Amino acid sequence: MSRFFAQGGSDSEDESDIEEEIQEVQNNDINNRYLQDNSDDDDDTDTKRVIKPTKDKRFEEMTHTVEQMKNAMKINDWVSLQENFDKVNKQLEKVMRITEAVKPPTLYIKTLVMLEDFLNEALANKEAKKKMSPSNSKALNAMRQKLKKNNKLHEEEINKYREAPEVEEENEPEDEDDDDEEDEDEEDDDSKEAVTDEEVDETTDTRWETMLNKKDKQMEKLLSKDPKEITWDWVNQKFKEIMAARGRKGTARFDLVDQLTHLTKIAKTPAQKLEILFSVISAQFDVNPGLSGHMPIKVWKKCVLNMLTILDILVKYTNIVVDDTIEPEENETSKPADYDGTIRVWGNLVAFIERIDTEFFKSLQSIDPHTREYVERLRDEPMFLALAQNIQDYFERMGDFKAAAKVALRRVESIYYKPQEVYEAMRKLAELVEEEEEAEDAEEESGPISSFIVVPEVVPRKPTFPESGRAMMDLLVSLIYRNGDERTKARAMLCDIYHHALMDNFGTARDLLLMSHLQDNIQHMDISTQILFNRTMAQLGLCAFRVGMITESHSCLSELYSGQRVRELLAQGVSQSRYHEKTPEQERMERRRQMPYHMHINLELLEAVHLIGAMLLEVPNMAANSLEARRRVISKNFRRLLEISERQAFNAPPENVRDHVMAATRALTKGDFQTAFEVLNSLEVWRMLKNRDSILEMVKARIKEEALRTYLFTYSSSYESLSLEQLAKMFDVTEAQVHSIVSKMMINEELHASWDQPTRCIVFHEVQHSRLQSLAFQLTEKLSVLAESNERAMEARTGGGGLDLSSRRRDNNQDYAGAASGGGRWQDNNMSSGYGGRQGNNRSGYGGRPGQPRDWSGQNRGGGYASRAGSGNRGGGMQMDGSTRMVSLNRGVRT
Amino acid sequence: MEETKENYDLTPRVAPNLDRHLVFPILEFLQERQLYPDEQILKFKIELLNKTNMVDYAMDIHKSLYHTEDAPQDMVERRAEVVARLKSLEEAAAPLVTFLLNPNAVQELRADKQYNLQMLKERYQIGPDQIEALYQYAKFQFECGNYSGAADYLYQYRTLCSNLERSLSALWGKLASEILMQNWDIALEELNRVKEIIDSKSFASPLNQVQNRIWLMHWGLYIFFNHDNGRTQIIDLFIQDKYMNAIQTSAPHLLRYLATAFIVNKRRRPQLKEFIKVIQQEHYSYKDPIVEFLACVFVNYDFDGAQKKMKECEEVIVNDPFLGKRVDDGNFSTVPLKDEFLENARLFIFETYCRIHQRIDMGVLAEKLNLNYEEAERWIVNLIRTSKLDAKIDSESGTVIMEPTQPNVHEQLVNHTKALSGRTYKLVTQLLEHSQGQAAR
Repeated sequence: MSRFFAQGGSDSEDESDIEEEIQEVQNNDINNRYLQDNSDDDDDTDTKRVIKPTKDKRFEEMTHTVEQMKNAMKINDWVSLQENFDKVNKQLEKVMRITEAVKPPTLYIKTLVMLEDFLNEALANKEAKKKMSPSNSKALNAMRQKLKKNNKLHEEEINKYREAPEVEEENEPEDEDDDDEEDEDEEDDDSKEAVTDEEVDETTDTRWETMLNKKDKQMEKLLSKDPKEITWDWVNQKFKEIMAARGRKGTARFDLVDQLTHLTKIAKTPAQKLEILFSVISAQFDVNPGLSGHMPIKVWKKCVLNMLTILDILVKYTNIVVDDTIEPEENETSKPADYDGTIRVWGNLVAFIERIDTEFFKSLQSIDPHTREYVERLRDEPMFLALAQNIQDYFERMGDFKAAAKVALRRVESIYYKPQEVYEAMRKLAELVEEEEEAEDAEEESGPISSFIVVPEVVPRKPTFPESGRAMMDLLVSLIYRNGDERTKARAMLCDIYHHALMDNFGTARDLLLMSHLQDNIQHMDISTQILFNRTMAQLGLCAFRVGMITESHSCLSELYSGQRVRELLAQGVSQSRYHEKTPEQERMERRRQMPYHMHINLELLEAVHLIGAMLLEVPNMAANSLEARRRVISKNFRRLLEISERQAFNAPPENVRDHVMAATRALTKGDFQTAFEVLNSLEVWRMLKNRDSILEMVKARIKEEALRTYLFTYSSSYESLSLEQLAKMFDVTEAQVHSIVSKMMINEELHASWDQPTRCIVFHEVQHSRLQSLAFQLTEKLSVLAESNERAMEARTGGGGLDLSSRRRDNNQDYAGAASGGGRWQDNNMSSGYGGRQGNNRSGYGGRPGQPRDWSGQNRGGGYASRAGSGNRGGGMQMDGSTRMVSLNRGVRT
Repeated sequence: MEETKENYDLTPRVAPNLDRHLVFPILEFLQERQLYPDEQILKFKIELLNKTNMVDYAMDIHKSLYHTEDAPQDMVERRAEVVARLKSLEEAAAPLVTFLLNPNAVQELRADKQYNLQMLKERYQIGPDQIEALYQYAKFQFECGNYSGAADYLYQYRTLCSNLERSLSALWGKLASEILMQNWDIALEELNRVKEIIDSKSFASPLNQVQNRIWLMHWGLYIFFNHDNGRTQIIDLFIQDKYMNAIQTSAPHLLRYLATAFIVNKRRRPQLKEFIKVIQQEHYSYKDPIVEFLACVFVNYDFDGAQKKMKECEEVIVNDPFLGKRVDDGNFSTVPLKDEFLENARLFIFETYCRIHQRIDMGVLAEKLNLNYEEAERWIVNLIRTSKLDAKIDSESGTVIMEPTQPNVHEQLVNHTKALSGRTYKLVTQLLEHSQGQAAR
């Protein structure tokens, strides 16, 4: 007992975190000795009790304390009882932390119950109470209060325990009896039971070297066993033993994997093999502790292979069902392969595949993207895709479409960002990789013992890809739209939009976005989805630019650039904020969200596109409104940059994207389209574009157009008339184009002029207001503002509208990613649609045949059609602006 | 039916949104226009008829298609079956039908539906079963092509029916019957009734509602282009947000009809601007000469392009079953809508053209308007006389000179401020009312 005493004592001072090693050494010495003793004894069984990990130790300490409490109860010593109670509570905390359990261990609950009973007894016994020493009775009262308070916390468990005190014990594993039970005393029994109660979890262990020899012995025993003697029972027992060791202190995770892998080879029935394989994979997941690091690549690959083997088994033996909701019977796996009826094995394939994907993602996050290693790692992707494809196929065959949708989403997420070229490359790579792998496989198979259950490779190891990435996306997303849950669908939809945008189908992508209503509720989704949304918006902006829709492009991107947080919003790096220090916790979270390098959207290109778009819209706008009192700003960000650059006394030759665009802006303001284009043309980022020449051509055409417009705005007052021919020559555009552009300006009343058809001239009208006149206009403008604000004040008083204004503002203030979208504006325009109806059916008689489009999008078309009204306003932004300006000139009767 | 390149036939896109019976007029039209081989259309007709009860008609077509005198066995069987079913339905509905045929009895019905049902049950032993039978009978009549009968029964059914779902179905049936009987006035009434129900009723899913709207719009095409006032109606209906959304999402081809209506209808100009925006947005999903014509005139100001489109539009209109309705005038038939369209389209071009010009050469103008010089001059003089155009003709140089329309600065200032006093006055009265109201309280 003194041994344990020492331990219990030594522990109270150690604040040991799991990583802390130093003081553990001394504890473990004792521990080891203690264990070694035991293991020497049990010659009858061929296992050794593996050393106890930290957790066991904590339990032991707790048990000792409890034992002391029992002793104190016997002698009615309330003072020491109180002390020990405090101690046990402290220890409980530690145990809970280590096991990461939600529930306190049974031992603790048991103690509480015992204490409570004893306390009640003591209180009931008034006579005895009177006889107590003052300190003792004081302690008793204190104890009563403490216990009352404490028990409230664990009320539920206590009640449960009181109802069925034995329930917990039933789950004890089989290895209990052949273990070293006989020479363990009672408390160890308790602790062991507690251990097995808990879901065995990952713990860190640093001290596995010392135990290596023993491990080797164990391994040897496993290997040296005569194959003929191996029975199902033996394997099962072995398996249980190894599993019991899992997560305990001192268990080397790699060894665990090795042992289990060996077991898979000698498994007797396919079901058993399957069960063990599941454990192998779990063990492989455990190899890497903590959340930050990633799984070693080698292990990852093995893990994938194991998954494939699992699938092989499942496909070959169709009577085996994997399920994680039911608790399988003890000997379920002993059923032979030809057993008719279903064999249930515990496991969750979806969770596994998601974990594998996450690990892959994490490894890409942490590997330096400029190394060979990164490329090598990327080459593993087809392997994963093959696995995911097989699992999805399997689920589809089994009719579990929900799970299939989840797996499909993983596949979608690994291809949505790939343009057709990259997709092709991946297809080719997949073919190549396969051959290498087969060679490797062959080597591995020639191990010392060939497995009992030889599973032929039923499942194809090669992913099959349709011709185009689009076809694959369509296939997968339509499956998801049919079967997925909300989040899966939303993510798939975003990936779908992204991919459409990548393929330059702006119309389709925009329609999908508007109809899915994703902008409305994106801020309620998880951050990773929000990032995906931001990426989609960015890609949509790029797409709009590529197809020449500058206004749309700008409206997609402007909000992304409204703060200085593009990197953060796209999860492509961390931006430092001057005003807001991040906690390390936040930083870590952020780092975990980062996109791997190969998925990045080129930020320079994005910035170039955004700024060029802003320039093309803003320069003529500034020229047109230079005289007006109330300026209309299209891009605040652009204006700010322009101001900064104008403030500089000397302009250095442009270096970065921003400088280039500013230089181009300066040229464009003067109507010098040639220089403007040349400056932009010299940008490096253009080589990122696929059809670079045509896009540059488009940019040039747009620059010419805007230069023409700017020129007219700026200099129209200096001319009486301008000939069409001259303008066309000046800006190197066809006369038809000039005619069209100028006509548009005239209609929109941006330009006060008209054509003189016989002479092919623009004749400008004298509309320049005198100083007095323009002042008078400003005055009237102010008057109407005043009247308006009066009206509004009145409304607020009498309880009219006014409220919607503030709510609007709130909308615009959404934090984080939600703000990064055209969404804020678009969603304001949404009207509430779809009266949530109760009854109502299809028209039954007079058979009309509705021609319905693709299912989910169809559904959303229904749901989201109202948002089209929003898009209407958005798309027509330019026109509307023209008309409002018109109104400001001759604002007639306002009703 | 595959689409030939030039004719922009919308039948394949329209037909799925129509009732089987409503497709017949379109097919008749196509047959007449000879856009497709006769055989193909006949086959298609038979296919359509196979699902209806118009077996006799199907037999006739079969005969003319294969040039035989015998109808195929299955058709004969089906005929017998149909007749039998008709008999049984007739019997089932008989009590109610006789009741309804008796004018004295019908007079006992009142506006109160509950009362009616009660009364029928007590005095004539007509329960829900009989009423249901009436519906089935009417439906069957419709399927057989007896539209007037169906329309009558459905009308009466509606007065007795208590099931909302059924009553809507009955309405649709009535609408179809009226359309097929070409009673445009009544059909228009029915259409509005259906619209009301669709807009006010709550549907299981918004998709359903959209689908219903699209059906309604398609069915309406028959009425709108035949009814006198239809062209205003079509704009009023289609331009509504809810309906426009439905068009944009599921049936962009309807834009053609809306565009045509806008061009031929002068009364709905204010909404045109809105419609132009829609066209711009949808240009990637739907292309049509008529829509493109509008785009040319109002978006790109490409008048030569508009000119070309106009010619294409002519073709489209003539070949469209809804737009190309012919009126036989003695020996030769005309398409009234076509002429109207061209006239108005011309006006559209000219109007816009004038807005941005100060001086236009008459020769060029005549060319742009597809007229010769004299005609053009006459046309313009007419416009000026009816004061649609503020311009003068300079005969010497052969030009039209627009009067400047620049508003005077003083006028603008006055306009700006005019409303202010009214607004302020209103505000003050409001305020006074409010304070009085509070004081009274």
